[in-house]
This record gives sequence, C-alpha cells and structure tokens, in this order.
Amino acid sequence: MISTAVKKTFRYLSSFALIVSLNFALPRLMPGDPVKNLIGEDVYVSDLVIEELRAELGLNRPLLEQFLAYIQALLRFDLGYSYHLHSPVAEVLQERIGWTLLFVGVSVGLGAGLGVFLGAYAGWKPETKLSRGLSCGFILLSCTPPYFLALLFLGIFAFKLGLFPFKGFYDTLTLGSIASHLFLPVSVLALFSASRNFLILRGSVIQEKEELYALYARAKGLYEREILFRHVVKNASLPIITLLALDFGFLFSGALFIEIVFSLNGMGTLIYDAIIGKDYPVLQGAFLLIALAVLIANILADFLYAVVDPRVRRPA
Amino acid sequence: MQKESRAYKELGVQRNLGLPKESYTLKESGLQKFGKIFKTFNRGGLLLFFFFFFLALFPSLFAPYSPSERFIPYEAPSEAHLLGTNDIGNDILSELVYGTRISLMVGFASACISTVIGLSIGLLAGYFRGWTAEVLMGFTDVVLLLPKLPLIIILGAFLRPSVWILILVLGLLSWESLARIVRAKTLQLRESGYVKSAQCIGFSSFHIMCTDIIPNLVHVILPKFMLATASAMISEASLSFLGLGDPSLKSWGIMLSFAFSRGGFIRDMWWWYLPPGLCITFCVLAVALLGFGFEPKTGVAKKEVVKLQ
Repeated sequence: MISTAVKKTFRYLSSFALIVSLNFALPRLMPGDPVKNLIGEDVYVSDLVIEELRAELGLNRPLLEQFLAYIQALLRFDLGYSYHLHSPVAEVLQERIGWTLLFVGVSVGLGAGLGVFLGAYAGWKPETKLSRGLSCGFILLSCTPPYFLALLFLGIFAFKLGLFPFKGFYDTLTLGSIASHLFLPVSVLALFSASRNFLILRGSVIQEKEELYALYARAKGLYEREILFRHVVKNASLPIITLLALDFGFLFSGALFIEIVFSLNGMGTLIYDAIIGKDYPVLQGAFLLIALAVLIANILADFLYAVVDPRVRRPA
Repeated sequence: MQKESRAYKELGVQRNLGLPKESYTLKESGLQKFGKIFKTFNRGGLLLFFFFFFLALFPSLFAPYSPSERFIPYEAPSEAHLLGTNDIGNDILSELVYGTRISLMVGFASACISTVIGLSIGLLAGYFRGWTAEVLMGFTDVVLLLPKLPLIIILGAFLRPSVWILILVLGLLSWESLARIVRAKTLQLRESGYVKSAQCIGFSSFHIMCTDIIPNLVHVILPKFMLATASAMISEASLSFLGLGDPSLKSWGIMLSFAFSRGGFIRDMWWWYLPPGLCITFCVLAVALLGFGFEPKTGVAKKEVVKLQ
C-alpha cells in the first residue's frame, strides 16, 4: 500500500515537473525570437522595449538561472503578462476558469449519471431494441467531433427553432438566464461524457451480471431492478471513476471547442483568441492551468477509488 | 449478445490455458487467419471504409471539378454544383472528395508513428521487466497525464501550420495506451514455451522479440492502430477548426472551420457545413468499426471506443 502510494505520488510529481519544464522550454526552443515567443507575435512594441524586455526576462543569462527565475515567478502565481489584453495572465485566467469549471462540472455530472443509468440498462438487457438503438447512437456520437455536434445543436435549436439564446453565459446575472444560456452547451458536453461512460458501463455490466453474486441475489428473490442497481452497478461502475479522471482532460478540451461555438466567455474563447492573436503567454498559462486541473482530477479519482473499493486499500 | 458473451468467456478460458492455443495460432497461415478475421468484420463498416478509401485513392474519378477551380461564390446546390460553392467559389463536393485523402493520410500516418513508439516501449518494458520496465512504464504514466489537445494547441500555435508537423505531434502524443496493452501481452508471451525454447537455443533478445513475440501481438496492435487512426482524424479536425491546420491542404476540418468562420453558418448554408462534418463522423466510424472487427471478442470490443479521443 505504502509503496504504491509513494510510486503514485512520485509519478504525479514527475508529471507536474514535466508540465512545468515543457512550459518553460517551449518558447525558448521554438523557432523564432524567444522574446517574441514570450510576449506574443503581432504585438506592437518598439525595439527599445524589446531590448528592455530581453534584459528583464533574462533571456541572455544561463538557462539554469532562467529556470530558477521562472519557478520563482510561478510560486508567486506570476504567469507573465499578456500584451494583447494588457493585463497579467493570472488575472485573465482567474476570470475565465470559474465559468469553464462550472460548465464542465455540471456536464460531467450529468453525463456520468446519464451514461451510468442508460449503460446499466443496455448491459442488463442487451437484446432489446432500445438498448441496441442506444448502443448504436452512442457509438456514432463518440465518433463525432464535439464541435460539430455543438454546431448542429446551435443551428437547429438556437437558429432554426429559436428555443435558446445562442451567445454568451447570461443576459442578466440571474439563475434562469444562466440556465437557459447554458442548456445547449451543457447538453452537448453531457452527451459526449455520457457516450463514453455508457459504452464502458455497458461492457462491464455484461461481464458482471454473469458473476455468482448476481445469481445469488436472484436466488434470494430480489427484483431485477434491485439486483442491477444495488449489486451489479456498484461493481460495474468502478472503471467509470478512473475514466472520469482520465477523461477530464478530454472533456475539458471538448468544452473549449463547445465554448467557441456557443461564444461562451470561458477558457475556450480565450484560447481561440490567443491562437488568432499569437498571444503565447495566455496560451501557456492556460495550458499550465488545464494540466494542473487534470492532475488534481486524477489524484481525487485515486482517493475516491480507495474509498469506494475497499480492495484497493488492502495490501495485495 | 448473450451467446456472444458466453462464447467470449469460453474463448477467454481457452486463452488462459496459454501454451497450446498460442502455439496453435502460430501454425496457421497468414491467409487463413485473415479469412477468419474477415468474417468477424462489420459489413457496413467495411463498405464505408472502402468507399472512403477509394475516394482517397482516386479523387479525380469522383470529383466533378478540380478543388481549386473557381465559380460564382456562395451558390446554393444546383445541378452544376451538387453541394453548391463556398466563399471563394470552389465547388464544395470536389473539395469534399479531395479532402478525404488528407484526413485519412493524417490519421494513418500519425497512427503509424504512435504504433511504432508504443510497440517499442511496451515490448521493451514487457520483455526486460526490472528497472527498464519501471522507468519506461513510469514515463508512460507521466505522459498519460498530460492533457493532449491543449498541448497540441500550444505546439501548433508556435510552429507554422503544416500537415507534417501535425502528423508528427499527433503521433508523438498518443502511444501510451498501446504501450500498456503491448506490455501486458508481452509479459504473458515471454513465459510461453516457444520463447523459453528460443532463449535456451541462444537466440538474441532482439531476434526473439522480432520473430516470436511481435507476430503474436498483431491482433492486439491492429485494433489499437485503427482506433489511433480514428482519434487522430478527430484531433486533426478539431485542430483545423481552431485554425491550426494547413490551409494549403484542405481537409474536412478546415472546410468546416471556414464554413464556421466565413459565414457559411450564419447564412444557414447547410450544404457547406453539414457534409464535411458528416464525412468526418462516418469516416471515423468506419475506421473504428474496422478496428472492432480486428478484435477477437466482438461483445466486449465496444468498450474500446472510449479510447477514441
């Protein structure tokens, strides 16, 4: 137990180190002037300012010294300065990440619920027409690029039918307004999250229902529904926890695209604008933040797994 | 389905017996094996795949015009232009047909790269065990935790957009799950009789890996390869949507991106944004279904689709 915990911690730490060093190395390794790479292209600054910046950023000092300075800055939550938005990157990110986390959090929760429920049904009765249809639908869904589905939803429900607003997080800062604005994006992302959970759970229910404990529960005279939801789903949904964590990165990236399509002012649009304006500091800050979020999600999943499944806690 | 899962269980039991089954499969000729595998394919997936494959091979047979030929812009579908024209007057159907090759090429090329990397790392970690395995699998786990798409976005933004860089980056960042599976399977294989005998005879490790282990890994690698292709195609489409694709080679993702950013969507020109999106979806579906076909166990195979993106 202790050795695996140490190993895991070590892996998380090295992952973190890799992310930080990637972030440090990229602007210095990539072709082009590192000053330009650090402050972003298409920025109108005079040559004098560039020379000043070169000295200030310490780009002519040894790499190790630069790296230490970079780490120190990180510890002060200093992620650099965006010359496009005229504000420190940390502040910009702070403004945006809350909305994106809300958006992703709600969708992942809904998606997990939907996926587990439907997946359990489809695995329990794989023969019925409904479960066949569900399986086909979800497989097709997992082959669609997220933003394409978002485009379709936006086109059909917002433009054609006019049921939902098609832009932004809210008109007025009330719960109703936010809910109606978020309904479409959340349902797109939740469907994606659900499609992955569905396929996993379906497979694992099909395996688990052949186990002896399910037979025993049936022999005791439990209703089908009780066997499924009280016994089988509990065991079958273990892989979902790992998946949710590993998926977090994917869903987060998917969320970025959906935000762009629905013009939501979160991380996605920030990154989109940063790409178009070649605003490298913002891109790097966003990458660091997303990587951290994924890392934390994985650590949480490890804990959750140990709480839910006592076998993991016991030494092998 | 019930029958299938039972059949799978039996298969699993047989496989667990290990040696006889493994040595038996070795004796089968490649053609026999292929024939057997062929039967398990999903017919629809196969048809769909060959359709796209022919589009990619002979685009000039299917496309009515050259993709760079220019007509009146923003035209609705008509007999002359079945899917209308885009903002600079290119025939959308022709663009669509020529885009197949690029999307498929990006998918397969980056899947090749990731398969080679994943295979070598998994093979070495599984065959040598000990600290080699610890280091290699530790590295794999660390890379697995990196958020792929954001990293690719950053790299794409720093580098000039080009298909080759896209292929390289997608390939270099998507080998971890293959490495894990290959390692698990290699750990099994290295205990089998024929590997032990080869070791006793004194063949080098490299020789054993190439002639005894890799041939038995094929049915593990092939489905993974197809899924890697599918996911690379989706990633390519996504990156192109952000404007990080190669604008000189019009893939489906770039068409979709242009339709979104250059007014096709606002003007409600469904013939512009719908076809490339549907093409991506169905082509990815065809490749993924083909991947399931390579899996010996049809019932459980659908789990694998989750690894797609």
